[in-house]
Amino acid sequence: MAQTLITRPRAYRPGLWTRLRAGLSYGGGVGQWSWLFHRVTGIGIAIFLLIHIVDTFFVVAYPRLYDHTVSIYGGVFNGEYYWPLRWGFRVGELGLIACVVFHAINGVRIIAFDFNPKASAHAPMAFNLVMAAFLLIMVPVTVWVLLPLAEPSKHWKMPEARPEGPALVAGAEPAPR
Amino acid sequence: MAATDTQKRKLTVKVHRYDPERDQAPHWETYQVEAEGHDRVLDVIQNIKWYQDESLTLRRSCAHGVCGSDAMRINGVNALACKILIKNLRSDTLTVEPILGLPVIKDLVVDMKPFFDHYKSVMPYLVNDEPAPTTERLQSPEERARFDDTTKCILCACCTTSCPPFWGDRKYVGPAAIVNAHRFIFDSRDRAAAERLEILNDAEGVWRCRTVFNCTNACPRDIPVTQAIQEVKRAMLTGDVGVEEEEGAVALTA
Amino acid sequence: MASRRVKPTGGYELWWWYFMRVSGLLLVFLALGHLFITHILNNVEVINYHFVSSRWANPQTGVIWRLWDLTMINLAVLHGFNGVREVLYEYIASNRARIMVSTIIWSSAVGLIAIGSYAILLFHSDKDYIRDFEDANRGGTAIHAPVLPPTTIARQP
Repeated sequence: MAQTLITRPRAYRPGLWTRLRAGLSYGGGVGQWSWLFHRVTGIGIAIFLLIHIVDTFFVVAYPRLYDHTVSIYGGVFNGEYYWPLRWGFRVGELGLIACVVFHAINGVRIIAFDFNPKASAHAPMAFNLVMAAFLLIMVPVTVWVLLPLAEPSKHWKMPEARPEGPALVAGAEPAPR
Repeated sequence: MAATDTQKRKLTVKVHRYDPERDQAPHWETYQVEAEGHDRVLDVIQNIKWYQDESLTLRRSCAHGVCGSDAMRINGVNALACKILIKNLRSDTLTVEPILGLPVIKDLVVDMKPFFDHYKSVMPYLVNDEPAPTTERLQSPEERARFDDTTKCILCACCTTSCPPFWGDRKYVGPAAIVNAHRFIFDSRDRAAAERLEILNDAEGVWRCRTVFNCTNACPRDIPVTQAIQEVKRAMLTGDVGVEEEEGAVALTA
Repeated sequence: MASRRVKPTGGYELWWWYFMRVSGLLLVFLALGHLFITHILNNVEVINYHFVSSRWANPQTGVIWRLWDLTMINLAVLHGFNGVREVLYEYIASNRARIMVSTIIWSSAVGLIAIGSYAILLFHSDKDYIRDFEDANRGGTAIHAPVLPPTTIARQP
């Protein structure tokens, strides 16, 4: 019976998930964290962009549906006001702004290194500059965005649907007044 | 911890163990070692192998930071075990793992074949079919200085296995291969710069680089790896593989 | 000394890399400006059909706002979706799966650009809806005119 005398040793090949988790424990410092945050914020913004373009499409297709959708940001759903909805969306809004601001500042840093390779020597300083600029912008923005929560919601009322008209469709034959 | 050269430290050493004949997955083993400040991490690991557990497997040759065989992950960061002194460790716990992203053959030994395959793919040798002159192929000091940094690579794989895109994408050629391409792309005697740029001009070439700077920090030879990769990207965009005038002149003709 | 030159390589990934830089720089102004107007100068709670209409349907400045938004969504969708593609390529190794990822990414990007551009270019103010809206909110605390730009839709006395 033929036997293979020399075999390749059975090597341990961690799967993608294990490799990524091990990567998180790598002590790459600020550079690696910037890369990770840039990636996470970028994906977050892309998902929001998808939702935001679809909801803005309602503005031309169904004005009433658009108002119904954006009123959720103020905590109003189906004409009823729910404060947790309003607070939740406020915090989400702040998260979105933070994502865009970080992605923008860190993106400018990456571009600066791309078009000036010699600047790479100053990389650690640049990471600190990014964090400083981020905090400088985000502290006042946080206060400003959360401040309105102290007051009652400024939500507006949706007009009653016209009983006789095809109310949802913009540009349709307007009902006689 | 203000450690001096001769001060003794009691170290708790956590070592990543994997025996392909017995283990399904790697595990950790802990050893106690007493070491002096001027000892190196390599000495600590060899101490374990010689006096505590002879089955511990590692790769090393020169033990003086030249051959590049003992790259491993020490306290979370890639380094050569022979270049880290015990007095420079911040805590008395030492964690030693194989480098990430390559298959582990045993304990601290990884399969370097994928790494060298990527290295070979960028034509890391001088290409010049022009008839040789009767003397040497002359090069000015400035032209030599242009790629001086990237001649220092010892192929230890510290940079490539510290690179987050490489952990995800094993097809990525990795920083070390690009550094060695850079060494010939910017060499005035070489004639294959265009071919190498074409090889690296790929989703698995320089464009996988996300400028994380882990490679620059990990390099035991202090090569500005990220900068070299950026210069290769720039050469692809502009076609300029020459010497930047003022820079070389100041450095070497003074 | 003679400068060494080779032919610039060009190529798909190179131009995407370049595009990410250029669009990124433009988006710093367009997207942060957009956020500044909608979240800082105004308040998301006052943004509604009335607000959008007063921007896009403004006879003087409407063209500028529409141009801004059109440039922004085109650049943002391409920038964002190419970014997601590059991230996915990093973790998906097989060529077949990558082709699938590319197909999904680019068809959804085209779809989004299409509906986004449609909304921006073909928007016309629904005067009846605006009138009903103002009737419903007259006398209440609810309606707030947007800070930027000045509303041109006449409020009824």
